[in-house]
Amino acid sequence: MTAAEGPVPAEPARRIQPDALDIGIAAVVVALVVAGALTDRFFSLANARAILAAAASTGITAIGATLVMIAGSAVSLAVAQTASVVAMVFLATQQLGLAAAILLGLLCGVAITALQGAVVGFWAANPIVTTIAAGFAVGGIATWISGGTTVYPRVAAFDGLNSTPLGLPLAVYVLLALTALAQWVLRRTTVGKRLYLLGENPAAARAAGLPVAWVTVAAWAFFGACIALTGVFLAAFNTSATAGLGGTLSLDAIAAVLAGGTAIGGGHGSALRTLGGAVLISVISDLLLLRGFSTGIQLLAKGLLVLFVVIAVHVRSARGRR
Amino acid sequence: MSAAAPDGQPPLVSVEGLTRSFGGVPAVRAVSFAVGAGEIHALCGHNGAGKSTVVKMLSGQLAPDSGRVVIGGRPAELGSRQAAQRLGVALVDQELSVVPALTVLDNLLLGDVTAPLVSRRRAAAARCRRVLSDVGLDRLRPEQPLAELSIGERQLVEIARALSQNARLVILDEPTATLSDAEAGHVFAAIRRVAARGCAVIYVSHRLAEVLELCDTVTVLRDGRRIATTPASELTVDGLIVQMLGEAPRRLTAGREPDPRLTHALRIEHLRVPGRLADFTLTAPAGRICALAGQLGSGASDVLRALAGLHPQATGRAELRGRPVPLRTPAGAARAGVAIATNDRKSEGLFLGQSVAANLLATRLPALATAGVLRARGEQRAARSLAGLAGVPDRRLSDLVSTLSGGNQQKVFVGRCLGRDDVFALLLDEPTRGVDIGGRAAIHQMLRSAADAGLAVLFASTELEELLELGDVIVTMREGRVIARYEGGADGAALMRDMTHGDRAA
Repeated sequence: MTAAEGPVPAEPARRIQPDALDIGIAAVVVALVVAGALTDRFFSLANARAILAAAASTGITAIGATLVMIAGSAVSLAVAQTASVVAMVFLATQQLGLAAAILLGLLCGVAITALQGAVVGFWAANPIVTTIAAGFAVGGIATWISGGTTVYPRVAAFDGLNSTPLGLPLAVYVLLALTALAQWVLRRTTVGKRLYLLGENPAAARAAGLPVAWVTVAAWAFFGACIALTGVFLAAFNTSATAGLGGTLSLDAIAAVLAGGTAIGGGHGSALRTLGGAVLISVISDLLLLRGFSTGIQLLAKGLLVLFVVIAVHVRSARGRR
Repeated sequence: MSAAAPDGQPPLVSVEGLTRSFGGVPAVRAVSFAVGAGEIHALCGHNGAGKSTVVKMLSGQLAPDSGRVVIGGRPAELGSRQAAQRLGVALVDQELSVVPALTVLDNLLLGDVTAPLVSRRRAAAARCRRVLSDVGLDRLRPEQPLAELSIGERQLVEIARALSQNARLVILDEPTATLSDAEAGHVFAAIRRVAARGCAVIYVSHRLAEVLELCDTVTVLRDGRRIATTPASELTVDGLIVQMLGEAPRRLTAGREPDPRLTHALRIEHLRVPGRLADFTLTAPAGRICALAGQLGSGASDVLRALAGLHPQATGRAELRGRPVPLRTPAGAARAGVAIATNDRKSEGLFLGQSVAANLLATRLPALATAGVLRARGEQRAARSLAGLAGVPDRRLSDLVSTLSGGNQQKVFVGRCLGRDDVFALLLDEPTRGVDIGGRAAIHQMLRSAADAGLAVLFASTELEELLELGDVIVTMREGRVIARYEGGADGAALMRDMTHGDRAA
């Protein structure tokens, strides 16, 4: 018998008080509002549009990454390369028409990413190792397809993607729609619920007979579709693609998910939180830009924000478990 | 064999009035005994008798509420495992704590508080060879990786490590539970050699024949109290069982006759798990509760885990309602209608960071969904009815399951498998471990109603009361084999004998 197994006389009372994370996030938001009020042109429609536009392409990928992280697969480091390949496929198939090109891009992103999910789900491979390997392989494919040069479309069917209905880029609407979809999947479908269970305790999910591998593959497939959409928008925006088009997308997406407070260990988080995280990062970058700080300072601030949220999330979960 | 310390000479180790309770429930009450130099002293008792708590206090893992331990004539301050080690107390735990990836030498140095920060390899290797030859492992080389060794040899390395720390008191907690006879023989020889060097040895085991063969003196605990300390030469296995059980629990309910309308069954044929389960065949009919009685390492738990697909090396055949149950895949077993509550609800059971409702619904989401989409309010309704079934208050449904008491957590764990129309066999490994009396009764009631509802219920337990109370059929197991099968008419002493006798000669 151990102390922990001894009888507990009374059930502890419910927790009502807000936790460290809520207080911390509220403090950051208040600080940003104050800083914004003191900054010229911050509170303007044009600036709001700029903030959302900046959040859109990373945000779309981050929504997909949220599902994978909730399922406990930590992070994917093959995102940027996958987005680059999708962008190339999308541009190279422009002559087939916009819908067909998007579809092929999606197919490509889903296939590449779901395959990684299958390796993680069926053989319990470490996701970080798997995606590092996949990142090199996919990056290799990108360089191979393009012959190391820039891919230009023969015709430009993608112009529609660069339209700005109501003054906002199309990608912003796609981001909002995907957030809503992901949120609904997480809350209202069996797959979504199982993602949380799997991330919370993989051994228990396995013992309970849940289809662990397939759930993992489903999450990664969705992630792949999100990466592909980001790739398509990047391609349309840049009108050409190189193997390096994805840039720092892998880490930017992780930063957005973490800044939203989704637990890196899995089991907790939501698509709405990630949307918040993506917007938060965008707001801070924008604020620093308006006040004339360098790109270096912007990156530093992003790093500190993620660090702060990760620590707050950890403190909260550590308290909840004890 | 060396006898106990001669009269007049103070014992090497004396335990004086050790007492400890958990949350107001006494686990060990004023236990005293003494172990002389060169004496092998057995600590016996049924589950919950307080053996582990005594061991934890002696090895510095738990502080006693009162009482003290005197080693070599001086009261010992056993504040931590390290402190205990410095005072010459070495513990060989139930679970192996050697590291397979390291070499024998590295393992011997591991956790040695007296080892110099920068160790000199050659001196260390020489010492390592000496220590190994002390336990009869001359054939091992210090640089050999531990992964190449058998489990028994690893256990011996662990014992050697305990000895290399200049121990005066060596405590062995169920060191042979998972060993073969030959391996156990080596362990015994090593223990005798240790005692011959003048160490005091405390030996905890469920295998009574083994205890009588190896030990000089036997102290029996029951309900946290010391019942008797007797020289082993004056004891028999049956006498020891009487000391351990006191008034043997009687069979409370007669075994039920199976309901003739229930014809399906869980048929298990030649189930094997390498190194754990020899050859297990049993038909568990629907509507009845089959109990597997066996201690740690008996294979009882392995039967359940293999059926639930949790043993990747299991072979054999299993059939439920005439359809085969695939072994080695948990999801496949679940699809075939098998649900399991493992013996570890924390790491392989509940989703501790999720709500009570989420835990209750975890395995039945498809039943609440149309084409993968959960129906509005279906979840809440199902959660509420399950809370009723599991005996957990409705108002706790949205709380984290980790905030429930151990008993209520276990109710949620078991309740999760109930009331599902896709489950036909319910497997439970130690269904009431760490559960208070009230929770125990509630869980027993749940199992009985599950059987009445037409499920085949199969559970493994080490608790006699539980086995006798619930089991319509009781199968006793030891060392991976079935010893006997009882349908009614079993009594505690018979079960105990089957589970613990461990008569290696026979």
